[in-house]
Amino acid sequence: MSAPLVLAVPAKGRLQENAEAFFGRSGLQLVKPRGARDYRGAVAGLDGIEVAYLSASEITTQLAQGAVHMGVTGEDLIREQIPDADARVVLIEGLGFGFANVVVAVPQAWIDVRTMADIDDVATAFRHRHDRKMRVATKYINLTRDFFARQGVVDYRIVESSGATEGAPAAGTAEMIVDITTTGTTLSANALKIIDDGIILRSQANLVASRTAPWTAEQRETARVILDRITAQQRARSFREVRARFPACDARLVAAARERFSVETPFGGPTSSGMLTLHCPPAQVYALTSFLRDNGAEAVAVADLDYVFSKENPLFAKLQAAL
Amino acid sequence: MDVTTGTAATDARAEALVSSYERAGYARVSPPILQPAEPFLDLSGEDIRKRMFMTAAPGGDEEFCLRPDLTIPVSRDYLASPEAGKPAGFCYLGPVFRHRRDAPAEFLQAGIESFGRPDQAAADAEMLALGLEAAAHYGLREAEIQIGDVALFASLIAALDLPAAWKRRLVKDFNRKANLAQDLERLTLGGSNGRPEYQGVLAALAGSDPKGAHALVTDLLSIAGINAVGGRSVAEIAERFLEQSALGASTRLPKEVRGLIERFLAVKGDPDEASVELRALAADANMNGALNQALDLFESRAGFLAAQGIDLKRVKFSTAFGRGFDYYTGFVFELTDPARTGDPLVAGGRYDGLLTRLGSAEPIAAVGFSVWIERLSVYGGAQ
Repeated sequence: MSAPLVLAVPAKGRLQENAEAFFGRSGLQLVKPRGARDYRGAVAGLDGIEVAYLSASEITTQLAQGAVHMGVTGEDLIREQIPDADARVVLIEGLGFGFANVVVAVPQAWIDVRTMADIDDVATAFRHRHDRKMRVATKYINLTRDFFARQGVVDYRIVESSGATEGAPAAGTAEMIVDITTTGTTLSANALKIIDDGIILRSQANLVASRTAPWTAEQRETARVILDRITAQQRARSFREVRARFPACDARLVAAARERFSVETPFGGPTSSGMLTLHCPPAQVYALTSFLRDNGAEAVAVADLDYVFSKENPLFAKLQAAL
Repeated sequence: MDVTTGTAATDARAEALVSSYERAGYARVSPPILQPAEPFLDLSGEDIRKRMFMTAAPGGDEEFCLRPDLTIPVSRDYLASPEAGKPAGFCYLGPVFRHRRDAPAEFLQAGIESFGRPDQAAADAEMLALGLEAAAHYGLREAEIQIGDVALFASLIAALDLPAAWKRRLVKDFNRKANLAQDLERLTLGGSNGRPEYQGVLAALAGSDPKGAHALVTDLLSIAGINAVGGRSVAEIAERFLEQSALGASTRLPKEVRGLIERFLAVKGDPDEASVELRALAADANMNGALNQALDLFESRAGFLAAQGIDLKRVKFSTAFGRGFDYYTGFVFELTDPARTGDPLVAGGRYDGLLTRLGSAEPIAAVGFSVWIERLSVYGGAQ
């Protein structure tokens, strides 16, 4: 039997739940045939896939090394852990969970500091006055270094912090921090504020593919199937199906609907009997039904979609382009 | 790239070069390859980590690195020696280690460091002459000579009637090769300084009694229960907050001052031409007093360069050259071969501030240069 495609999924916590739910919605049910405590799994009903349960950090490393083909991990880890990340991995798609920003934060008491230009100036003044450099506590060493270099800030030192970074200024182990935040609550609770132009990265969980893994023809085919299902599910989630039948329906009306409500016509214009099927963004559904009724439709049916498969597979195209 | 296949094997021509330095009175030194990382990070900034090979002792906290250059190790050894503070000259030849995308990480550098010499202009000129000899030693007789003088820009800025914050900014931007044009733009246009919510307060404070304003801001911060957060004192924060108000009130740099800086940075040519231009600039701007010392040194150095047998017509001076070299304080030079890559073959200058930053209580004059052996070894010169 040929080597399976290895799909790495976070091994614990919210990230695992969200990832499993994401694949589940796409009809890719992750199963552990040998019991819940196993770190290897499979996808129900789909051969040729091995699921590896790993920490998000380990997934990132293994993607970079080509030890797994695809995986779910945060963009923050990709950018921090992999030098020249775009040469080694490709971010296929943001998954809509695990949102967090990597930000520069300083004590709220620094009323004279709002921008990175202020930080630059304060850092230099600090070195002259205190005869040492300002310390930045962070676990994002590479992101911090690159961002500060881009901003032209040079007078600082990084203090590596593996946890509770937000406490460093109050504890006196650093002057400022670079950390991840979702709502900013933890930062405020520690009397810190985010620098106006100090958002280094807006991160979320991503489906990521390794460019360096050995991709056999079978593995590519397996990836195509996985990404086809994900695409079909995503398309289905971004539309409702709206169906109506009325004699006055014509191409001009369909064009107007497309223009005003961003609808798509997966099966073309109205049939000879006046049946019309539209895919409409959820927020526009009610307005669309009113529009159709005003133009002579007697009944309009709206339904959720499970999958919308089409000829195009943009996610797989992205993967192919990168390999 | 295989980082281990370098040109770092011994090189007979490089050995001969360093022997000539020894005969000229420079003591040969070989600092340890494994160095504490702290001085390099402190002097060059965190960004240098990208290029350094870092390590640590098992269980140890202190970071070590493979030396990325020899100037700092030689300077530290000199500072730790009984000779510290006295005039002393050293030469070296050995491998340095830097991560480079397209070239081996281990490569040879030779060079000279001269400490504590009071005759600055003569010492500067001798360094350039020795650098030219190094190129000639490898068969390159017509290297392009680019020189600059960081002290000229520093003197100009010091003499300008500008808020302290802007002077800091301009000098720093000069040192890092960025944004200078943009800063000049902003100074003239007086663009928004990006803190609208405080604009009213700052405007109200601008022009008020500085002591009173300082006391007010300090009090406000103290009422909020803030003493010292993140290593900056309340006084420090208040002071800079008020400095911002000063900036807000005077963001318009008089046109003639901007014009002066631009005119200054456009000066280039051979040292004699440049000197005439700079003297004229100083006279026009009524800055003879402020620039006199730096210009005297510049001209005296040019005299010593000529005395070393260097044809001044070959020397390309530019006031803007030297930007991006952080710890240089005066003369800077680079020898290149424009017919090849244009990468520096020999580079050096004066860094009088370095030894203080490495912990010396007294300032110690320092000047030197390093020779890129791997770049010179492509020339087929004899010896």
